[in-house]
Amino acid sequence: MTDFDFKTEVIWESIPILMSGLKLTIIITASGLLIGFFLGAFFGLLKLIKFKPLRYIANIYIETIRGTPIMVQVMFIYFGLPMALGMRINPLTSAISAIAINSGAYIAEIVRGSVQSIDKGQTEAGRSIGLTRMQNMLYVVWPQAFRRMIPPLGNQFIISLKDTSLFVVIGVGELTRTGQEIIATNFRAFEVWTTVAIMYLCITFVISKALNFLEYRLGLR
Amino acid sequence: MIIQIKDLHKYFGDLEVLKGINLEIEAGEVVVIIGASGSGKSTLLRCINKLEEITSGQIIVDGHDINGKDVNINEIRAETGMVFQQFNLFPHKTVLENVTLGPLKVRKMNSAEAKKIGLQLLEKVGLSEKANVYPAQLSGGQMQRVAIARSLALNPKVMLFDEPTSALDPELVGEVLEVMKQLANEGMTMIVVTHEMGFAREVADRVIFIDKGVIEEEGPPEQIFDNPQNERTKAFLAKVK
Ligand SMILES: Nc1ncnc2c1ncn2[C@@H]1O[C@H](COP(=O)(O)OP(=O)(O)OP(=O)(O)O)[C@@H](O)[C@H]1O
Ligand SMILES: [Mg+2]
Repeated sequence: MTDFDFKTEVIWESIPILMSGLKLTIIITASGLLIGFFLGAFFGLLKLIKFKPLRYIANIYIETIRGTPIMVQVMFIYFGLPMALGMRINPLTSAISAIAINSGAYIAEIVRGSVQSIDKGQTEAGRSIGLTRMQNMLYVVWPQAFRRMIPPLGNQFIISLKDTSLFVVIGVGELTRTGQEIIATNFRAFEVWTTVAIMYLCITFVISKALNFLEYRLGLR
Repeated sequence: MIIQIKDLHKYFGDLEVLKGINLEIEAGEVVVIIGASGSGKSTLLRCINKLEEITSGQIIVDGHDINGKDVNINEIRAETGMVFQQFNLFPHKTVLENVTLGPLKVRKMNSAEAKKIGLQLLEKVGLSEKANVYPAQLSGGQMQRVAIARSLALNPKVMLFDEPTSALDPELVGEVLEVMKQLANEGMTMIVVTHEMGFAREVADRVIFIDKGVIEEEGPPEQIFDNPQNERTKAFLAKVK
């Protein structure tokens, strides 16, 4: 054994700074996923439309995003796009966009799968009472599909949360980045990374529990 | 004449399922369709409700060619209620919400009107006390009665039933047939695919025997059941009796 001694005070000192990083992590994850959900719902439903060109568009988006690492995606947005557009994109916007575009592709597949899993008889019953396609999707299929989306969505939420730690590469001050910065000044890697890990764990735990609760509530019907 | 079907052909790929069906149904008539499995009974009903695209021919419901370009298919569908073998109730909606969805969204009623109609219909099918439960809490017979109420809520001109009692335990069949009898007595135009020969004999004005996509024989129930002319009808009836 080395003569390592665990300094609890380091943890108490770092918590306020880490909390500001955590706050940013949550902001990036929550805003990114909110936009990602709409992107996912849009492209997921696009994939269910009979008209082929629209399905191709959805496929191109989904396959491109799923086939490239999120780190490359965020660097493309932050370092690459500004060269083409001739204007800067700030780190926070880049981070949120990366989570949105990335999670959107995975959520699109979740949405498509859940909607397709609803029994065809539901649509036939809805159409037979005269509902339009839109009304049938809105009142009959979507609410049932949404319930089935919850577990895989929870999974995606947790993945996206953890993906934000990769954004250290663009210098956005999220939780992992703040951890690195603290260590650069006090060299207490063990204590700081332990604290950072526990903070991530707390958030993923809260996400899991919240979604379990939502699933339970919707499932009661 | 409420329904007129002229030379209806329906293919699934290379398989010709309906081979030139001609059928006319008067308002208030109760028509029972019988025939072996795979003979095209469901397909015929589904074509009338436009759940299947027809290959050729014409189906006229209440004066509208349902495959015409200028018709609003959602309006046509609302005029023809469809009751499925598997009930297909909306599991995320209460019994009352199942029934009021059509009045609210298709007929654009306000919620008070829709609720009034919904409760009246649930009373009619004997399920007033179940208005606020979810379908999962009902028996099969109760579910099918809710499904009938859901279709009736649009005040349709025709009701189509596709083996409404085939998925039910024997002891639950009676309660559904009872509701259907009552409807027939009130003058509803009904087309019923069923294996319940007792119901056919008692309620039908006309029985149609379909075999391999062709109407082989039709007539009043006494004729079809007691004195069938067609060899295939005889063979089919000998099997189901
Ligand atoms: N969507 C479909 N695609 C391909 N073939 C189909 C389809 N629906 C029905 N068929 C075929 O069409 C034929 C007629 O089917 P249909 O369901 O109308 O028969 P049915 O008389 O209702 O039989 P049952 O008494 O078993 O319900 C069958 O051979 C069936 O396999
Ligand atoms: Mg059938």
